[in-house]
Amino acid sequence: MYGFHGRLLQIDLTSRSHRWVALEETRLRAFLGGIGLGTSLLYDLAPGGVEPFSPANPLIFTTAPLVGTGLTTTSKFAVVTKSPLTGFIADSLSSSFFALELKRAGLDAIAITGRAEPPVYLMIGGKESGELPVVEFREARHLWGRSPGETEALIRSELNHGGVRVAAIGQAGENLVRFATISNEGRHAGRGGVGAVMGSKNLKAIALSGNSEVEVADPKGVDAIAEMMRERSLGTVTAKYREIGTVANLAVFNRLGTLPTRNFQQSTFDHAEALSGESLTENSFSRRYGCASCTIRCERLFKSLTGAEQRLEYETLFALGPLCGIEDPEAVLQAARLCDQYGLDTISAGGTLAWAMECAEKGLLPEAQRLGLRFGKAEPFLEALSAIARRSGLGSLLAEGSRRAATKLGGESAYWAMHVKGMELPGYEPRSLKTMALGFAVSPRGACHNRSGAYEADFSGEVDRLSGDARRGGLVAASEDFASVLDSLIVCKFLRKCFTDFYAESAELLSKVTGWSCSDAELRRVGERINTLKKLFNVREGWQPEDDWLPPRLLGEALPTGVAQGVGLTVSELREMIGGYYQARGWDKNGFIPEKKLRELGLG
Amino acid sequence: MKDDQPSAGAAAVVLTGGKSSRMGRPKALLPFDGEPLIVHAVRRLEPLFSEIIVVAAAEQELPPLRRGSGQALPVTLVRDQVAYQGPVAGIYYGLQEARGAIGFVTSCDVPFLSLGLISHLLSQITNYDVVVPYWEERLQPLFAVYRREVAPLLKDQLESGELRPISLYKKVRTREVGPEEIRRFDPEGLSFLNMNTPEDYQAALKRWREQRGPAEPAKESASVPCTVELLGVARLRAKTREVSLALPQGATVAHVFSALAEKLPTLVGPVIAPGGNSLASGHACNINGRDFVRDLTVEVRPGDRIFIISADAGG
Ligand code: SF4
Repeated sequence: MYGFHGRLLQIDLTSRSHRWVALEETRLRAFLGGIGLGTSLLYDLAPGGVEPFSPANPLIFTTAPLVGTGLTTTSKFAVVTKSPLTGFIADSLSSSFFALELKRAGLDAIAITGRAEPPVYLMIGGKESGELPVVEFREARHLWGRSPGETEALIRSELNHGGVRVAAIGQAGENLVRFATISNEGRHAGRGGVGAVMGSKNLKAIALSGNSEVEVADPKGVDAIAEMMRERSLGTVTAKYREIGTVANLAVFNRLGTLPTRNFQQSTFDHAEALSGESLTENSFSRRYGCASCTIRCERLFKSLTGAEQRLEYETLFALGPLCGIEDPEAVLQAARLCDQYGLDTISAGGTLAWAMECAEKGLLPEAQRLGLRFGKAEPFLEALSAIARRSGLGSLLAEGSRRAATKLGGESAYWAMHVKGMELPGYEPRSLKTMALGFAVSPRGACHNRSGAYEADFSGEVDRLSGDARRGGLVAASEDFASVLDSLIVCKFLRKCFTDFYAESAELLSKVTGWSCSDAELRRVGERINTLKKLFNVREGWQPEDDWLPPRLLGEALPTGVAQGVGLTVSELREMIGGYYQARGWDKNGFIPEKKLRELGLG
Repeated sequence: MKDDQPSAGAAAVVLTGGKSSRMGRPKALLPFDGEPLIVHAVRRLEPLFSEIIVVAAAEQELPPLRRGSGQALPVTLVRDQVAYQGPVAGIYYGLQEARGAIGFVTSCDVPFLSLGLISHLLSQITNYDVVVPYWEERLQPLFAVYRREVAPLLKDQLESGELRPISLYKKVRTREVGPEEIRRFDPEGLSFLNMNTPEDYQAALKRWREQRGPAEPAKESASVPCTVELLGVARLRAKTREVSLALPQGATVAHVFSALAEKLPTLVGPVIAPGGNSLASGHACNINGRDFVRDLTVEVRPGDRIFIISADAGG
C-alpha cells in the first residue's frame, strides 16, 4: 500500500493494552485520511448513544495520505470523537510536527478508549524502521495541572529525547471543560471539546517518535507537483496569510458589517481599528511562524506589553475582543495566552463569556454581576477565563458551554446563548452573510467556519449576501464536500486558492501518492460520502430537525449598525435555505437520509 | 461613514492673494485645463474636504467660482483685510473662517497636488498643531495642515511683524514630514510644483497635457469624487488607509484601479495586476460595503467608497 501504512492502533487505557488492526484499502479509498477516516472509524467504533465522557467513547487520531509527502501545508492530523459540547460528531484538525511524527509512527490512526487510573501519558515509538512501534503507558500524575507547553517540555526531558513530539491537554481538559482543546507545539485541535474527552480518559498526553517513512507510488511525480504548489503558494493569492495572517479579517469584517460584537448585538465594533490586523502588525508584530513544512506560514506572534510573545489568529482575536466588547489589544493578548495555557477553545470561551456578560447586564446572573463581568471590562473577563479552566465558582457553570449553562440558569437566558447544536458561533455574522447562516445551521459539528466555507459565496459577489434563498443549499453542500476532501487529504484551507482545478489536481496528486487511479468525480463523491456519514452518525446519536437551526437572537433582531444596518434574518428565509440544502443533498424534507442515498454512497 | 475619513470636518484653505509679480498677471485667473486656475484648484480639492475657503486680497479680481455647468462651487470667500502682508495673513484669515478644527492650507498655483499626500498630512495631525512637509531643502508652509487653535499666534505674528510662517513652528507642536515619507504618496513631489513665471506656467500646461494623454478630450468640470479604502495587504503596502480620487464622468471600477496604480505605484504587482486596471488574484473589491464587484465595467458613482480587500476570508 502506498501513502498509507494500513494500520490502526487501538488502545484501551483501562486494561493498559493495545492491539494493531489492519485498515482495508477500500475504507481508505472511500474516506481517505484525516476527518474522513476519523468519521468512518468513529461510526464503527463508538457504541450508539455512547456518553461523550464514557470510557467507551473512542478518541481517534488520524493522519492522512498527503501528510509527510513534502507537499506544502499538509502537516496536519485530525481528532475525532463524540463531542461533549454538542453530543454529535466532533472533528478537529491541528498541525505541525506532531502530525509528521504520527505518520512516521507507522500507523494511520489511533483509537483510544477506556480510562486510566491513575492518569497516564502514552509513549508510542522507539523501534527500528519497519517494526511496529512500542506502546508505553507512563505515569502522568506529576504532569497533572501543567500547561500543554510545560507538559511537552517535561516529557521531552524525562524521555531524554529532543525529537519526541507531544500533544497534551491543559487544566481545561483535565477538568472536563466541554470546550477544552488538545494542544501541540502551540497549536490546538480546538473545537468541540476533544480535550475534555481526553481528560475524561485520564490521558494527559501522547508522545510520539517514529521512524517509518511511508512510500509513495510515484515519488518523482509527487515531487514535481509539490514543487509547483510551493511556487504557487508564494503568489499574491496567499499574500494575506503571508503578510498579515488571518487577523486581517477583523477590519474587513467590520467595514462589511459582519464582525460579531458584544454577543451578536452588533456587527460592527467601534474599536475595530485598534484591534485590526493592520494595527497589530504595525504596533505589536513580533514574529511570523508556520506549521511544519509550510511555505505560507500564516501564523503571527505579537508582542504584549510584558514582552511576552503570543500567537493570535482571527477567531481568537474576534472571540476574545469584539465579541466580549474588549477593545484593548493587550487584554486580548493576555486572554489568548490564558486560553493557550489552559487549553481552552477561544471561540467557545469567548462565546460563553459573552453570554454570561449579557446575562449579567440583564440582571440574570448575580454571580457574574458580583464579579463585575460586563462587556468591555477586561479584568473580570480574564479572571473568568481562569475560573472556567479550573471550574471554580461561576467557572463551573461556564465550563459547560453556553447552551448547557443557559439550560441550567433558565429564564430568558437561552435567548442570548449564541450556539448551534451547542457549539458557539465563530466570527462571521450570519444576518449579513446569509449563505454562511445556512452553513452554520446545518453543519454536523455545530456552528463552524471550517467544515463549511459557505462565507466564500457571500464574499464573492455571486449571491446577495444580505438575503437568503433556496439556491444557497447547493452552495453550502458543495462547500462542505470541498472542505471534507481538503480535511481528509489533508491540505490546509489556506492553500485552496492555489489550485486551478482543485478536484482534478488533487485526484492527480492522490493517484501519484497512492498508486490508485482517482478521478475528480471520485473525490467529489468522497466529499459527499464523508458529510453524509457525519450526518448519519448524528442521526444515530439523536439528531432531530430542530437541531439544524440558528439561535433566536439572529431571527429576532435586525442589525443595528454598519452597512448591513436594518438587515435581519426571517424564519421563512432560513427555512427556505435549509429546505434547499436538504434537497441538494438528496435527503428528505426533514433532513433524514433516504436508504437509497446511503446505498448510492456505499453507506447502506 | 464620513466620520471615518481623516479629512472629515477639515477645511481646505486656498490662498490666491500673492503678488504674481513675476508672472505678470494674476495667477488665480490663468486658464488651466479650460478653467481659471483657482476653479481648477477648488475642484481638485473638493473630493477631500467638506469645506473650502478661498482667501483673496481685498480688491483682488476673481473669476466666478463655478463649474463648467454653471453650478456654483461650495466655497467660502474671505478677503484679506490688509494688502500684501504675505502668507501668514492668508493662513490666519483662512483658519479664522474654518468651521472645523483643522485646515489644510495651499496656494492656488499647484495644479499637480496629490490628494493622497494631503490625506496623509491630515492623518498626521492627531498629536500635533501643524503638519508641514519638508521638500527640496525647505519647509513648505503653503502645503501644510494647521490646527485652527494656532490662529491667535499668527495674529500676534502679524502684529509684531514676524511675517514668516515658519516662526510659528517653533512655538507649537510641529510635525515635519520628510522627503521619503512624501515620496510614498507623491513620488516626484509634484504637489510642490508651483508656478511663478510664464515659463513655469507653460511647463505646467505641457505636463498636464502629457499626463492626460493626447486622445482624451478636455472634459468640462466633469469629475466623480470617490474614496478608495485600503485594507489588509493593500493598506500595509501603501502605508495609507484611504485615497481620494476624482475620476472623469462615466469612470468604471477599472478606472479606479488605474488611478490608484498611478497614485500608489507600490501597489502594482502585489495588489493591482501589472496592467493597472484589474486586481491581482487574492484581492477583491467591494463598493460601499455592500456589493462585491465582479464586473470591472461597473460605473462609479459620486461619493462611492471602494474597498480593496485581501479576498480570502478564511481563518
Ligand atoms: S497556512 Fe498557516 S495554518 Fe496552514 S499550514 Fe501553513 S502555517 Fe499552518
